[in-house]
Amino acid sequence: MRQNDTKPRTAARHFPLLDTAVYWLLVVTVVATAFLVGRVALANTPTIRLFPTTVVEDLRHTGEVARDMETGLQEVIGRLDQQQQLYQESKCDGAENDSGCQRLARQIGATYLDMLTIMDERLPDMEHTVNNTRISLEKNLRSELGRKMSPWTLQETLVGKAKTTTSSKSSPTLRGRSGMRLSERFKQYHQLVATSGSQSDQSLAVLASDIYLDMHETSVLIERTRQEIARATLMEQLNQSFGIITPEMMEVVGGVKSILFGDEEARALVAGPPPGTIEQAYRSPLEQ
Amino acid sequence: MTTQKRIHPLATFAGLAAISLTLASCASTKPTCDSPQTRNLDRAISAVQATLTNGCQAHFDRYYDDLLTIAEGDPKPENKREFSEFLVWASDEGLLSKRQAQENYNRYFNVKFMSLRGDYNNCSHTCPNKQKVLFDMERELTDKERGLLKVSLDNQGYYRADELFHEVELVLEATCTACAAGR
Repeated sequence: MRQNDTKPRTAARHFPLLDTAVYWLLVVTVVATAFLVGRVALANTPTIRLFPTTVVEDLRHTGEVARDMETGLQEVIGRLDQQQQLYQESKCDGAENDSGCQRLARQIGATYLDMLTIMDERLPDMEHTVNNTRISLEKNLRSELGRKMSPWTLQETLVGKAKTTTSSKSSPTLRGRSGMRLSERFKQYHQLVATSGSQSDQSLAVLASDIYLDMHETSVLIERTRQEIARATLMEQLNQSFGIITPEMMEVVGGVKSILFGDEEARALVAGPPPGTIEQAYRSPLEQ
Repeated sequence: MTTQKRIHPLATFAGLAAISLTLASCASTKPTCDSPQTRNLDRAISAVQATLTNGCQAHFDRYYDDLLTIAEGDPKPENKREFSEFLVWASDEGLLSKRQAQENYNRYFNVKFMSLRGDYNNCSHTCPNKQKVLFDMERELTDKERGLLKVSLDNQGYYRADELFHEVELVLEATCTACAAGR
């Protein structure tokens, strides 16, 4: 023990200055690194707080709920498609009085009822998570962009302090994404928001607005859909006794398919204008 | 007494002649405030500057429009500087206030919208007038198309302004919905 203790003491006695220098060098390095890291972090941290962790979590949960609903509906809709195909191949259009066709129509009606039941079961959870996200975003938008900013500061936030004109990459253009799976849409939202630390304030403001408006519309649609489900279920229960396929039924199935699994026709992308080629170096003293 | 009576009609005549001459001379020096005749922007600016300092200040807006039309005939990035210098000159000469000069420049040659000037918060001031603000921005975008695209060939600047207009439209829609929900 004693031998072990003597070694460091001897070393300290021999190089006291070296030890002090190393010690201070370490302190200076740590302080400088902390300062630099702090500066970098400060430069990258968005100054407006639109996406607290609760919103990120809500978006993730909404995506999961949407995926569960899709999985549940996928099988039923597949079955409906097959039954409908069989109905058409059996030339049942115009032969509604045929007993075989009536049986087929009843089967289709029953599957349609299954679809409505699944939707009715899953929608309240969906409505709850969508509303949570909407309310959180609403609060942040009102406070950060509505009450803390004037129209001029809002514009400056959107333009960006660096005045870069290459915003086409940074600013997301998300509105009108009807040609996408519901769960995929929320997954994308979640990804965008989860990586929002690396995004600038201008992108965040646009992203938050976009998601909020989408949630607002979704919320209204879910509420209407729930009301409609109750009515459609009653109608179909009545139709079951007659074995009728109503055009409304096919319309609803088509609508649900396009909402949940995407609509290829809605993916028409319009090319943007060509980027400018002239360097704009001049800045007027009058510019604001 | 007799002499005085004889001179009197002559003096009256001379007086009348003098008044007519004065009036005639006044009429000939009154500025005509014509638009610049040249299609060259430099020369047009010089002509306008001369006219403006010669009693045609009231026609400033028309001259500015004339200069923009002339510049549209020979669009180039340097035109931005020409207009900036012209407006700085107008401000220095006291024809425009500094704020008016800034307004005139930024409305045509900057990406940012002067229609969004305001010191009060969005919930209390912008949202109740949202439609008017957006309408004013749309009109300003037309001026930016003229200044940035047609006069200065600044395509990127104009496309950014157009994009900014749509972003403001989207963000205001969301913000104002959120503000209304909080009432």
